[in-house]
Amino acid sequence: MNIDEFMQQLSSSKGVSNISKIRKNTVKLDLTKEESLDFFVSIKSEFEHCSLISAIDNQPDFELVYHFSCMNQSIVVDDSNCAVMLEAHIYLKREAPSVDSIANIWFGADWHEREAFDLMGIYFIGHPDLRRVLLPEGFAGHPLRKDYVYEIHEEEW
Amino acid sequence: MSSKKVRGNPNLRRGVGSKTTDSDKIMEDPPAGDWLALRSDQLLEWIDNSVYNVAEFTGMREVVDRITRPIFNFAQRLSPHPLHFGIMCCAIEMGQASAPDHDIDRLGLVYRSSPRQCDVLIVNGPVCEKLRPKLKTLYEQMPEPKWVIAMGECAISGGPYWDSYSVVAGADTFMPVDVYIPGCPVRPEALMHGFLTLQKKIRAKEPGMFLRR
Repeated sequence: MNIDEFMQQLSSSKGVSNISKIRKNTVKLDLTKEESLDFFVSIKSEFEHCSLISAIDNQPDFELVYHFSCMNQSIVVDDSNCAVMLEAHIYLKREAPSVDSIANIWFGADWHEREAFDLMGIYFIGHPDLRRVLLPEGFAGHPLRKDYVYEIHEEEW
Repeated sequence: MSSKKVRGNPNLRRGVGSKTTDSDKIMEDPPAGDWLALRSDQLLEWIDNSVYNVAEFTGMREVVDRITRPIFNFAQRLSPHPLHFGIMCCAIEMGQASAPDHDIDRLGLVYRSSPRQCDVLIVNGPVCEKLRPKLKTLYEQMPEPKWVIAMGECAISGGPYWDSYSVVAGADTFMPVDVYIPGCPVRPEALMHGFLTLQKKIRAKEPGMFLRR
């Protein structure tokens, strides 16, 4: 399947908007939070690798960016054999930043989601083991949020 | 010599008539003096104290200390075994220090991988909150006598991460540090100078080891 045909196919699926091609091999789209899980299940057959999940604090809202790679040549760019990437953006409200977990679809997303939970405080519903991964247990707050205030452990010199 | 003179343990004599149960006797303080009535650990402690007291009050401890101190000190000073433990980029410099260019083995350093076999703990990087209990455990696993070297800015004060949410501001906030080596990262020559400084410190400050309390 060519990448342009793939974009045509994506535009008919639910919850998808603003499809664009930001690079020769990269498709960018916006997702709604409710239809995200169905969409991710539908693209699992082409995109076998979840490259990364990033969380952005846009103040006041959060933004999740998923990157998926297709390396099995089921989607091709014209006549080259480079891998196709899909970049999905999900916008979340600040009050209850939660989204469906994809850790059961791509196992590699497990620690990505734990890291986003640890540092940005986004809750992934259905995650098998949502614990902190980088900070110690019992740490208060999520330090990469823009409104996080840390009391500096500064001694008086 | 009066026949009324009390010999033996006054604690035991006092305990004869009182209404103590067996469980109370187990938990009570050891009877002073009567070493046949002691539990095994109390007996060891009693022997320890007796030997120490005899050596201390006859002056033998000082004599033996003066004789053995240069020997023990020589051995400790010239073979500090550091723990092979790296946190961040200063660990690369630590590896370079033992490479052929700066052959730190000629100072007697042998890197050991077990804290039970080590004298020196080199803290070479920022200690984050998650690492701190582990590093404390490593320090406590090392046998006495032991020394700690804070290598680089991060171990001294937190360095560029001093106001971070997860980095401890200096290794000396939770363990005693003997030698501070500034630098970011520390050059291998500076690490060698740090070990020479530690040798001077051991030579000057380390007391005798015989029956040390």
